[in-house]
Amino acid sequence: MSKYFTNIYDTVNTLWTGMRITFRHMMNIKKDNVTLQYPEERWPRPERDIGFELEDYNVIRTRLHVDIDDCIGCFRCEKACPVDCIKIDTIKAGRGEDIPEVAHTGETSNGTKKGFVVSRFTIDMSECCYCNLCTYPCPEECIFMVGGPHSSKHPIDYEFSEVDRNDLIYQFAKKLTPKQRNDLQQPKEKAKA
Amino acid sequence: MGVIQGDQMVLNIGPQHPSTHGVLRLEVMTDGEIVSKITPHLGYLHRCFEKHSENVTYEQVIPYTDRCDYLASMNSNFGYVVAMEELMDIKVCERVEYVRVIMAELNRIASHLLGVGAYGLDVGAFTPFVHMLRDRERILDIFEYTCGARLLYNYMWVGGVSHDLPKDFKKICFKFLDYFEPKIDEYNQLLTYNKIFVERTADVGVLPADVAISYGVSGTNLRASGVKWDVRKEEPYSIYDRFDFDIPIGEAKFGTLGDCFDRYWVRILEMKESIKIVRQALKEIPEGDIFETMPKKIRPPKGSIYRRTESPRGDLGYYIESDGSPVPTRVKMRSPAFTALSCLDEISQGWMMSDVLCILGSLDIVLGEIDR
Repeated sequence: MSKYFTNIYDTVNTLWTGMRITFRHMMNIKKDNVTLQYPEERWPRPERDIGFELEDYNVIRTRLHVDIDDCIGCFRCEKACPVDCIKIDTIKAGRGEDIPEVAHTGETSNGTKKGFVVSRFTIDMSECCYCNLCTYPCPEECIFMVGGPHSSKHPIDYEFSEVDRNDLIYQFAKKLTPKQRNDLQQPKEKAKA
Repeated sequence: MGVIQGDQMVLNIGPQHPSTHGVLRLEVMTDGEIVSKITPHLGYLHRCFEKHSENVTYEQVIPYTDRCDYLASMNSNFGYVVAMEELMDIKVCERVEYVRVIMAELNRIASHLLGVGAYGLDVGAFTPFVHMLRDRERILDIFEYTCGARLLYNYMWVGGVSHDLPKDFKKICFKFLDYFEPKIDEYNQLLTYNKIFVERTADVGVLPADVAISYGVSGTNLRASGVKWDVRKEEPYSIYDRFDFDIPIGEAKFGTLGDCFDRYWVRILEMKESIKIVRQALKEIPEGDIFETMPKKIRPPKGSIYRRTESPRGDLGYYIESDGSPVPTRVKMRSPAFTALSCLDEISQGWMMSDVLCILGSLDIVLGEIDR
């Protein structure tokens, strides 16, 4: 019988202790509030006060972007991707030559001479696993996650969405018409012949 | 006089059931409300981790290991890189070792917070879950601050880590620990000593030590049964032998040794131990270059290795076989949650239907790791 009442006492007592904590939090709701009203409020992004001196640290993993004018078509990012979401095609061109018809510049911003016209550079962001492995091997640092230290090149964007799944396959290379593509491939065949 | 027996009924729990912690189907044979047999059906989250690993290079395996135990990705990475470094005979620099230990222990706290909080949710206490997720969020913020990802980090690489710690990491980490340590007492008041919770979990689903060992159960579930076994102490990997910490074991606090409450309680105590380790590591962490020992190309010599580490769920082992090419021949992962699930049938026989979910929750399984 005494156990019965002890049980009731313990239950009420421990419940009361718990309720007191909950109540204290309710009283301190202004101070302890951790919920953000998402579309109106945003959580602070780490790019703001990351405290790194090294400029090449990009800690934020948002969305992949490619500066196609800097791309030399070395396929290193494609090889690094564990889920094969990056697809690249190249056409051989004269090293360091500008081809104004397809808006191809011969040199990257680092001064490296390009040997290829990148005819296709697609990233399927629906497959991307945000592992950041593709950004490290790039010799020209032209593939990067937007935001952070790269804000000047591309503003931060982590809320992108598309209506159709196929629209998530982003094309970064310049669009070539079939004729232009043919023209670019011609010299190579001539050389063979 | 024979035993009066009603008709056996088969009841399916899952695959979409909030108490199964993922996609797990339990085929439960019940006699009235008494459970007589449980057959877990796996494979709903199978993503071919091991087969994928045979087709990608060694560094590309690491994002896949993230996705195995998604609540403790740092620890999953840790096991893989420890095995790889032993296979390749790399000695990483001191700073990397300390960074890894700090990250792994913080992730252990985060994982236990979710495990313990979700366990409260399983037995009907909602408030502690919200409190614990709030604090887990702070750990995830620290991770985001360090490596940019909140859940699947790809942080530990073979021979190093992907990002060095931020400049004020020590400050924010100490700030978090100072904030978090008193919170454990608050959880205890909210949930642990709550009479309803104690009555619900004490003496339920007793897992004796010999049964646990024979099923290969490891980690917190084994320690709750009173076996003092922790890979961090028994076979110290990385630099765990330098830290001063205890291994909490089950002490039959309110019921029998190895009951659901003990498994819960060991997790709470383990969080305190992890705080101790992080504090020591933060104090001793030396300066250094984290990319110093990172190999340019990962091409391990011919051979194979099995190395195990202590993940929040238990004894996490990686078997890696190499033929000298940049692609592994075989990567096998020994999953601690799998063995924990295998003993569910034995320890929940004779208990009521509602207790089964209580027992399942106390094992703290992660389906991503069981199915791989």
